Amino acid sequence: MPLKSLSHPYQGYSYAFLDEAAKRELRRTILKSIAIPGYQVPYASREVPFARGWGTGGLQATLAIIGPKDSLKVIDQGDDDSVNAANLRRFITSMTGVSTTTDTQKASLIQSRHRIPEEILDTYQTLVLQVPMPEPLRSVEKSRAVAQQMHADADYGLMWLKLYEQMVRYSQITLGTGYPSLVHGRYVMDPSPIPRWDVPKLHQARHLTILSAGREKRLYAVPPFTEVRPLEFDDIPYRVEDQKDWHCGKTGLKSKFMNELPKDDGSSSYEISDSGYVEKYLRQKEGESIRFAKPYYDDDGKFYRDDVFRELKDD
Amino acid sequence: MAYVAARGGEAAIAASEKLHRLFYAPLSPDLVKTIEASMPYLLDRVMGEGSLYAPDLAALALAQTGGDLYEAILLLRAYRSTQPRLAYALPIEQEALLSIRRISAAFKDIPGGQILGPTLDYSHRVLTMAGLESPQAAENLDAAPKASPKNQPPLTSWQRSNGLLADLVSQENPEDLADLPDLTREPMLFPAPRAHRLQALSRADTGGVLTLGYSDMRGYGSNHPTVNEVRLAYADVKLSHPLTGKPFSAGRIRVSQAEVVSSFGGSSEKPQLDIGFSATLGWNEVKTIAASMLDMAMDKPDPFPALSEEFVLYHIEPVESSGFCIHYKLPHYVTFQSSLEAMRSVGKNQFNKPINEEEEVMG
Repeated sequence: MPLKSLSHPYQGYSYAFLDEAAKRELRRTILKSIAIPGYQVPYASREVPFARGWGTGGLQATLAIIGPKDSLKVIDQGDDDSVNAANLRRFITSMTGVSTTTDTQKASLIQSRHRIPEEILDTYQTLVLQVPMPEPLRSVEKSRAVAQQMHADADYGLMWLKLYEQMVRYSQITLGTGYPSLVHGRYVMDPSPIPRWDVPKLHQARHLTILSAGREKRLYAVPPFTEVRPLEFDDIPYRVEDQKDWHCGKTGLKSKFMNELPKDDGSSSYEISDSGYVEKYLRQKEGESIRFAKPYYDDDGKFYRDDVFRELKDD
Repeated sequence: MAYVAARGGEAAIAASEKLHRLFYAPLSPDLVKTIEASMPYLLDRVMGEGSLYAPDLAALALAQTGGDLYEAILLLRAYRSTQPRLAYALPIEQEALLSIRRISAAFKDIPGGQILGPTLDYSHRVLTMAGLESPQAAENLDAAPKASPKNQPPLTSWQRSNGLLADLVSQENPEDLADLPDLTREPMLFPAPRAHRLQALSRADTGGVLTLGYSDMRGYGSNHPTVNEVRLAYADVKLSHPLTGKPFSAGRIRVSQAEVVSSFGGSSEKPQLDIGFSATLGWNEVKTIAASMLDMAMDKPDPFPALSEEFVLYHIEPVESSGFCIHYKLPHYVTFQSSLEAMRSVGKNQFNKPINEEEEVMG
């Protein structure tokens, strides 16, 4: 028996690009991050064939957990067709041969930048979010070493002070995306630059979310069925982006997160940011039978859980 | 090695230059042409930092210095400073640019459209090993069925018409263009006129601008910038004809521009977008993006280095910073001797002749 017949044919790269040692490190990191929800676990963060800051953290998490039977969806800003999403998808499939989909329902693994899809994710699904700045305390404490101590002490006073100062200055909290949120009552995390519209989707979610920052070399997770609470004062309820008068130009729908599109005449049009949702809706309209999961927000903008948004009652 | 004290220093200099040149190909027109044809982005970087648009001279500078960037830039700057100002070009409006690449991260689509253009942004960074073995054929590229529009309006026009950006403060453009502040002909004083600031950023060291810009992006600053527009473009440099006064094109150059915006500028009653801008000769996206962020950051009161105009503009200068850095190789034995003496005498006083005890004995 020739020795050659016992070995794999020569391949330039391992399955899913990363070598097995790198994958093992990442998997251990992921397990630890699941065991300590919201805690930022450092990892080596290998170089991958993409520029740093372009999703190398999310990519490494995806490559570490993707299996041949997975069905992959990659989005950027909610869009499957954005060049960045297309590019990452092209790389992952060329290194694994997995099938891909734009249908949220059919995806077992979703890598995303800046969005969580509009259909409720389920226990069979994993969401990998790309993270530029994992440290929620960065805006109030520049030093990583000091911030780490503050996390250890659950010392989030400066964060509350920052929110309070915004109230004083603008009479409202002016944070856009990446709203600081308390995970499992213990660690404040940066949920990655998802809009405020998406943050409540992480609360008591049925799916696993992995948040991975390649450049800053840290990874954290929100396991299924975990409390995720955006920081809010008792008398200042958390609010999502107000787009309730916006209608999607492609579908006529509302109450989904919208892109604003500047037009030549100085006005704007709008379209739903979740391109997979739009695609499914339009195909259904043409008579195709399409399976939708229930959306997080219904057509009237009502969220599917009633323990997230509070209405202030007048005294 | 007494490298300066020795008489015959001139012979040593000549020999060391010869030795330096032994490490790379001798200068030749073919070499210069090859560099010019094969390394446009390197030329752009050298021309931008040298603030002289001359691809052939930039290639020559690189060939002559064996690719030492700071030396090449200094060659160009030193040549540039000998050239008289013959005329003043007319301002180049954003809308007149012939943009080959134009990206906005702020909106999915914008008036005039997103143009991906030439970029390695989405390439997989894998070495093409075959290039070591045999020549790789140039790939065919089919023209798009529908060409992009030739010019694109600035996105800021839409933002201004929607009240998101403050109206442009009409800057008093001098009647005579020769009255514009010119950093290459006068010193920078602080607070710097806007023209000086943009000129300094334009000819800044790419690495230096990136380092300070990155410190701001990473959090040593208060910006949350979004790239409003990045453009790689060709621009016609137009002059007024000295006799007829009619504008004519004196040539076409490669330029890049970046514009970043950040929410919650303006007043707390009426927050508006803050804006930062940068442009440079040649196509250099990293530099203009980082520089436009610095342009925005330098107006903020925070105590970080990237937010101090003086700190930034002094330290991003490639010729000054590299020159000063390497000057430390010059002999310093007089200064060193003097400080050695001072240090030694402290030791003597402290350990051999304690001043206080001596005083007690004397007393």
